[in-house]
Amino acid sequence: MIYAVCWLAQDLLTVLTDGIMQIPELFLLSIVYGLLTDKMRDGIGAIWGAFFGGLLWDLRWVGMPGFFALANVCVVTGVIMFWNALPSSGRTAFVVFFVFWMSQLIPSAMYFALFVRAVNGARLFEMQQICAVSLACLLAFCFARSKNGANE
Amino acid sequence: MTQEWVHGVSAAVLGMLLLGTSPGLPVVRNAVDLCGSVLSVPEYPILLLRSFCREVYVWAWEKEELKRQIDALRSENAALRLAESAHFAEIIVADLNSRTKEARITLREPQGWWNEARVNRGRGDSMAVGLPVFQNGFLVGRVNSVGEMSSWIDLLTSQSLMIPAVIEETRDIGVVVGGGNGTVLLAYIPEGRGVEPGMKVSTALVNEFLPPGIPIGEIEKVEEKHEAAALSSGYVTYRIRPGADFSRLYSVSILTPRTR
Repeated sequence: MIYAVCWLAQDLLTVLTDGIMQIPELFLLSIVYGLLTDKMRDGIGAIWGAFFGGLLWDLRWVGMPGFFALANVCVVTGVIMFWNALPSSGRTAFVVFFVFWMSQLIPSAMYFALFVRAVNGARLFEMQQICAVSLACLLAFCFARSKNGANE
Repeated sequence: MTQEWVHGVSAAVLGMLLLGTSPGLPVVRNAVDLCGSVLSVPEYPILLLRSFCREVYVWAWEKEELKRQIDALRSENAALRLAESAHFAEIIVADLNSRTKEARITLREPQGWWNEARVNRGRGDSMAVGLPVFQNGFLVGRVNSVGEMSSWIDLLTSQSLMIPAVIEETRDIGVVVGGGNGTVLLAYIPEGRGVEPGMKVSTALVNEFLPPGIPIGEIEKVEEKHEAAALSSGYVTYRIRPGADFSRLYSVSILTPRTR
């Protein structure tokens, strides 16, 4: 449910700021956060959730079904593989921040490189990444706090 | 882990297939339309909000632009006014210059040293009784009588010449009169009006002959000779430091009337 809300929030914010700035991938970020904090234990559900969410996004905003679906799936599968391969001692707040940021950077960079031809495209991308990095910092902080709480 | 890997690869392949086959398919267009129309319901309030925000932004921008234009117009207006004032000032200065006659003191009798002097301008030079006489822009006195080739002027230091004057800072009106010994006094100023040394004194509007605003000098001090009388009458007499130098009165300027 929370992922649907995040998808809708991303959609509504995109409507609100259309042409002014590009909203970060809130939906994908919520899935990645769920995976890292074990709130989403089902990795398969995460993969297909990311796929259909991305497909819906493609139908609403891109007009080319499969682009964000593929990008989201790649990111989520990569995160699952990376996170499972990482020992518990290596799951630090910085690594989490890096994972969050990469989950934002990769699909956005592909989208801007292939589809955005606006004069101010670079500025839109920069603004989106500034917001994405801020969100990644915030979520990494939340992750660290929840981890510390669990350890205590 | 293997299952997730398999599902991930399957979803990626499906995504690639969609990406490769979907462009141009009518079903995709229908799906896009359907998605747009379904989402238009929750997006409608956001569109209204966005429209409102845009209107507010445009309003604020226009207001700022109008303010900027008003400021620019104000600056332009001030510059134009300044130019106009400068133009008028030039006209006034030119008018005063054309009406001012320089005159030389030709006689100053020792027995009437502080009372009168004779200048080398007469009726033929547009001289008339009552015209103001200056030295360095300060009032020296007034034309008393006019002859063919010369005129006599009453000096400010004369006891017989009384000129209504105003203290510029307090706007108190009094009478300037000579002390008969080279001093110039300002009489009939009410006591306790905050008159201080250094305040400017000039001719008052109530004067019948002289135009207002001609500088006379500045307040020097309370005249001691009149201090006791002032305490009883409620009026104070001040000594004035005249702007004109009556000990070096070699030449003067006389403002002649405007010719029509």
